[in-house]
Amino acid sequence: MRWRFILNIVGILILFLGISMIFPLFFGFYYKDQSVIPLLKSMGITIAAGFLLNICFRKQRVDLISHREGMAIVAIGWTAIGLFGALPFYLGAEFSTFVDAFFESVSGFTTTGSSILTNIEAVSKGILFWRSFIQWLGGMGIIVLSVAILPFLGVGGMQLYKAEVPSPVPDKLKPRIRDTAMILWKVYALISLAEVILLMIGGMDLYNALCHSFTTMPTGGFSTKNASIAHYDSVYFDSVIIFFMLLAGINFSLHYQFLRGKPLAFWRDSECRFFLGAVLVLIVIVTFNIYGTVYETIGRALRFGAFQVVSIVTTTGYATADYELWPVMSQLILLLCMFLGASAGSTGGGMKCLRVMLYLKYCYKELFSLIHPHAVKHIKIGGETVPEDVVRSVLGFMGLYIGLFAFSSVLIASMGVDFITSIAAVAATIGNIGPGLGMVGPVDNYAQIPYLGKWVLIWCMLLGRLEIYTVIILLVPEFWRK
Amino acid sequence: MKVIIVGAGEVGFHIASHLALENKDVVVIDKDPAAIRYVSDNIDVQTINGSGSSPVVLVEAGIKEAEILLAVTNSDETNLVACLVANIISSSTKKVARVRNSDYDEYHDTFRDHAPHIDTLINPEIEVVKTIERLMSVPGAVDVGEFADGRVKFVGIHIDESVRLAGIRLSEIYEMTGKKSPLIAAVIRNEELIIPRGNDRLMAGDLVYFISEEDKLLDTLAVFDKHVEPIGRVLIIGGGRIGFRLANLLEENSVYTKIIEKDSDRCTELAEQLNKAVVLHGDGTDQELLSEENIQDMDVVITLTDDEETNILASLLAKRMGARKTITRITKFSYFPLMSMIGLEQVVSPRLSAINTILQHIRRGKVLSAKSIKNEQAEVMEAVALETSDIVGKPLKKISFPKGVLVTGIIRQDEVIIPSGESVIEPEDRIIIFAKRQAIPKIEKILAVKLEYF
Repeated sequence: MRWRFILNIVGILILFLGISMIFPLFFGFYYKDQSVIPLLKSMGITIAAGFLLNICFRKQRVDLISHREGMAIVAIGWTAIGLFGALPFYLGAEFSTFVDAFFESVSGFTTTGSSILTNIEAVSKGILFWRSFIQWLGGMGIIVLSVAILPFLGVGGMQLYKAEVPSPVPDKLKPRIRDTAMILWKVYALISLAEVILLMIGGMDLYNALCHSFTTMPTGGFSTKNASIAHYDSVYFDSVIIFFMLLAGINFSLHYQFLRGKPLAFWRDSECRFFLGAVLVLIVIVTFNIYGTVYETIGRALRFGAFQVVSIVTTTGYATADYELWPVMSQLILLLCMFLGASAGSTGGGMKCLRVMLYLKYCYKELFSLIHPHAVKHIKIGGETVPEDVVRSVLGFMGLYIGLFAFSSVLIASMGVDFITSIAAVAATIGNIGPGLGMVGPVDNYAQIPYLGKWVLIWCMLLGRLEIYTVIILLVPEFWRK
Repeated sequence: MKVIIVGAGEVGFHIASHLALENKDVVVIDKDPAAIRYVSDNIDVQTINGSGSSPVVLVEAGIKEAEILLAVTNSDETNLVACLVANIISSSTKKVARVRNSDYDEYHDTFRDHAPHIDTLINPEIEVVKTIERLMSVPGAVDVGEFADGRVKFVGIHIDESVRLAGIRLSEIYEMTGKKSPLIAAVIRNEELIIPRGNDRLMAGDLVYFISEEDKLLDTLAVFDKHVEPIGRVLIIGGGRIGFRLANLLEENSVYTKIIEKDSDRCTELAEQLNKAVVLHGDGTDQELLSEENIQDMDVVITLTDDEETNILASLLAKRMGARKTITRITKFSYFPLMSMIGLEQVVSPRLSAINTILQHIRRGKVLSAKSIKNEQAEVMEAVALETSDIVGKPLKKISFPKGVLVTGIIRQDEVIIPSGESVIEPEDRIIIFAKRQAIPKIEKILAVKLEYF
């Protein structure tokens, strides 16, 4: 482990973050609100800190980054970005303690969307824009962005990319990682732009359209309104946002193929079929469950049922209805959706459909070999055999995910939080969804979680965003051994 | 520029990493998932697990946009078929196959002329014999490259304490030796490549690369205290295919050759095929055999067995027993940095020779030949300067070359010019350019892009 080197790269990331504070500052100046001073201060501190780190630990020669260093850079980098990203919140008027600001910042970068704020609309526009913008940065990955933009990361970029986007079967769209990262960001920006335009056609002003696009595409879920999307109460907005949440939940390499003129790309991909199929079935079940019990017309049941299912399964976390008033069966389905999550290679969180698919196929294979003890059978996805070690790593991931979920919810419960809230808060943060159930439901927020509980949840959000291994590996003593 | 490499063995891996560092789009294909994983973990290239001779896999790899296909798997047949299939899908792609079977030797030219699907066959054994020949011809050289059909040589030599120039500034060489200083293109010191200026000193332990015309080479070498001693007696240890090839060549040049081989059947075969060379049955690390055969009188001992550890030990033993010079065959790249530490500077490797030859075919435009220097931080290229190029018609010092680039020679018909700042490149001149790795893509552009448009 070359610490100077790691800290140097982290310094560059921080510098980068500082520069990106120019965007909320622009809105701060435009609306002439009280966010200008805190934003300027945080920008100064962040740039200075990044610059100092970069200067103090100037590296002699850029070499290959080892697998281990890649993980350390990403894990440390994300924590640092969370810390510095919290500065505008902390220096502004709305957050009283640092842990609240840090929670909000990490919740932003990890595209979770859990909020501490009780009255969002009272917050200044500049700060609110920053809150949405960090979700957009974190969605496709701030490190993927730096790999795309900063040329010197080219050689080691791959290790960083793999640590930040740990897909079970990695896609490389172009021979060079820099080009791959660039393509992903371009596709991401393009779809976000399309959403801004569609929202503005529906009558949203530029500021809110930008903020909502910036939180839909990364499946983040921060809204600028207290009532989230329910504020607009519009079928048009609901459907546009459902559509873009679904896009965000699909593997971005499929979007790229689609844009390159392969319209069947979505259909050919078995994970995408599984994802869309699961969404459809769940919408139908939830709609029939809430039709008659909560909503009188089938149309309204479908509208709110579909929005909530898509919002949770893509791990966005917008709300158009208080689903805590729904029958228990629907609530339970939504809770389970938090575990399923979106596709691998998308901006969504959760365990990811591909892993769940692999896991189900593995279970079937076990049953099959009980019936035919001599059978030779491979696990196949889309007609191709999945290598044994990939299967093992997926099983390991599922085990760790469930284990960490159990451990963290017991921790939260030990602080006196009630049963439902403990489970749902952890499920909603480790899966990067946002709203949970109970005290942290769609119309509540995380302000009432005890002090230590917030730290636990911050940790859960980072675990979920970097897909467990990159974060948890730092706790393994073997990792630090020379 | 897109390059597809079939085969992720040592040669494939090495070329891929070389090209990835030059920012080329590289796709590596191999059947072995473990080899593919190793490649994708270590270098920034795209990888495909599959057979390189399959049309489906080649199309997936993007053969239609690829400029070059390099087939370097262990199997000659796969390499040939991969080129054939690639040709059917994309005939404009240049195809290079590595073929090791000596049965093809006679037919390299025939293949080039009559098999349109293969542009070049490369046999590492032939290449390594050429390398050995070059090393033997230049005393003290560790690395020799030839340009302008051999009229210009690019030579790397080690400076040790006994050399007068150790510790001397480049600008003082003339006072010191009374001879004009050779054009020193690069110095490798502690694995680091330096382009020296007049004020820089040469140090003991440096590997110095200089350029020289062939007829002035001996004078230049004298500056470095390396003197020619004619090679009259050669001992080859290991009578495999390379050993046989080399012995054959030495026989033709009337060099007295002895060849030691362990396997008695192989000895019989060698004795049948060779006329003048002495074939000895025995172990190349057997001290008694070596002294019996007067190893102390040998000008060069070349160890070429298939076992590299044996080669290293045999070379060390020969050196200790008084052989003037040794050349050692090594396969593992990881041993290279060790070799100069233990005093074996002349090292050859069939793979490295193959890589160097393949590199020449990758350089595009009017690049005639290319040679990568010892630790691959830089390359020397020979190219034709066309009228349309920016570098023609003005003094060199007025041309803005990218950093780390040096024009080290201009060849005008029969004349070889070692240039100064005032020299002017004329159209149709052949120029020899030394370029650091970072500058290679830019140099390729200067030499190639302009030409392609006109």
